Amino acid sequence: MEPKVNILMVDDQPGKLLTYEAILGELGENLIKASSGREALDFLLKMDIAVVLMDVSMPELDGFQLADMIRQHPRFQKIAIIFISAVHLTDFDRLQGYQRGAMDYISVPVIPELLRAKVSLFAELHRQARELELLNRELEQRVLKRTEELRESEKQLRQRADLLDLATEAIMVRDLDGVLQFWNSGAEAFYGWSRREVLGRNVHQILRTKLPSSAEEIESVIVKGGRWEGNLVQLTRNGREVVVASRQVLQSDGGGVRAAILEINRDITAQLQAEEALRKAEKLAAMGRVAGIIAHEINNPLEAIRNAFYLLQHHPSLDDNARVYTRIADEELTRVAHITRQTLSFYRESKEAVPVSISEILDDILSLQARLLQRNGIVLEKAYRSDGPVVGFPGELKQVFLNLIGNAIQAMPEGGRLRIRVSEAIEKRHRRDGIRVVICDTGSGIRPEDAKQLFEPFFTTKSTKGTGLGLWISKGIVQKYHGMIQFRSLRFIRGHITAFSVFIPKSASPQVSGSRLLSGASVTQ
Amino acid sequence: MCKKEIILCVDDEENQLAVRKLVLESEGYAVLTAASGQQALGLLEQHQVDLVLSDHLMPGLTGAELARQIKVLKPDLPVILISAVNEIPSDASNADLFMSKLDGPMAMCQNISAMLARCKNGSGGSSS
Repeated sequence: MEPKVNILMVDDQPGKLLTYEAILGELGENLIKASSGREALDFLLKMDIAVVLMDVSMPELDGFQLADMIRQHPRFQKIAIIFISAVHLTDFDRLQGYQRGAMDYISVPVIPELLRAKVSLFAELHRQARELELLNRELEQRVLKRTEELRESEKQLRQRADLLDLATEAIMVRDLDGVLQFWNSGAEAFYGWSRREVLGRNVHQILRTKLPSSAEEIESVIVKGGRWEGNLVQLTRNGREVVVASRQVLQSDGGGVRAAILEINRDITAQLQAEEALRKAEKLAAMGRVAGIIAHEINNPLEAIRNAFYLLQHHPSLDDNARVYTRIADEELTRVAHITRQTLSFYRESKEAVPVSISEILDDILSLQARLLQRNGIVLEKAYRSDGPVVGFPGELKQVFLNLIGNAIQAMPEGGRLRIRVSEAIEKRHRRDGIRVVICDTGSGIRPEDAKQLFEPFFTTKSTKGTGLGLWISKGIVQKYHGMIQFRSLRFIRGHITAFSVFIPKSASPQVSGSRLLSGASVTQ
Repeated sequence: MCKKEIILCVDDEENQLAVRKLVLESEGYAVLTAASGQQALGLLEQHQVDLVLSDHLMPGLTGAELARQIKVLKPDLPVILISAVNEIPSDASNADLFMSKLDGPMAMCQNISAMLARCKNGSGGSSS
């Protein structure tokens, strides 16, 4: 049932009011009678009036004046006014009426159907306008409510984003193709790329991501199971390679139309490095222990055998031939002793590091090797531009250079050039002063495929002659001094040039704990 | 006539001990042998010895521990440790010298004769 509207009828003649009432009664609306302009205004202020039906000529306040007053009030501007007049029906009057905002104009004699039709039309218009207004208001309210909701959710999102920014992990949101939509400050700090630079770009291209399996495989895991976890290798802006533990969760927006992936990456580079270092240290310690035990087990019988040969050599029953044989055997045993000492022992003369002259150590070694150099026809070129005093253990440093010089000599069975250079140097990366020793030979060279394994334990190119521990031990010692050992092997038409370079910082004080780990030669009792 | 100098040789390994004894005898020394530190201490009570040459790593008493006990009993008796281990043990300084078995028989004999000569000079100077 439609709500009724109010129709205000204004006339100073009660009879006329009764007539209008009779005519409009059947419309079923509320009919309100006012016998003067003032009374009409009272009703207008009190209630919502749809149509005002008024006589133009009334005493005191006539129809036009009343209409003026109604129109001045903003609340009444939309009220329909129908003027009824017996007189003044000139065009001018009509115009005046329209100017006052009248909706219509009826002259007497009033034709009941016409009046009814007009009033009914305006009543209906009013009703519709009122409904429209109601709807409008409702709509406005809904818009307001929705706006408020949006504001609230935006606030929540912002708070969430602020929270994400507090996280130290790198957090990003990207679509399935990898295009970035969100990038938190953790990601900015970690990767070195600002939000402005990366949004809208492909994450994998920016970070040069190396995936543990194919991209399709990972995507299918995410799409099916909603999440994926694994380690990624990526590059930061300054080119540092990092390993991150990545968690990726599928975020579907309602119907899953705009699927996005929330990716949280935690830097585990240092952790992995520490684990790797620990593994290496454990390996080294184990190797050291094994080396210590082997050394002990070999050295013991070796001594007895050498003693026995010593006795045999001086035995009166031996003829000259037999004496030669024992001499050869003794020489070979001496070499075995030399090898076990060089590779299986980490001999250290003193407990405290002392100033060591590198050039003296090199000369000691070279004097031991002089005969071998001569026999193999190797030309020695020495260039000592520094005395090379460093702080350390002479035995250890001797072992490093003995290994390198020994290798160089063995690489030149048919002769060649052995160049040894000692100079003051500055290591660029950490700007440290130190001594650089370069040992260069023109021997058989190092094959590129061997280069990677050169410093690995038990790696040898000398088949039966080497133990495969020399360079591994040398590297361990150099690292203990916080130094560096590097090599280059270049191939020329006429042969190879191989150079090993050792840098020992002057300020280095070798760690005793590290050496213990490395040597590990304490045979348990 | 010069009396032979007596060396007490200690090692838990029979073969090694025997061969070392022979080498020392070939150099003109008289040699007593002991298979353990305990046994060596017992022999020292009964015999006059000029030098002790002991292995370090032995079951029971280590060479370094033996050297410490000897120095309590006979501070002037020289003790040389001869070892197959790589690292010098922290208590090696209990002995007068710590040498490697890898140094060979010549070095061993040289070390012994040098040590004896030094002791003879030292003790001769103080006693006479």
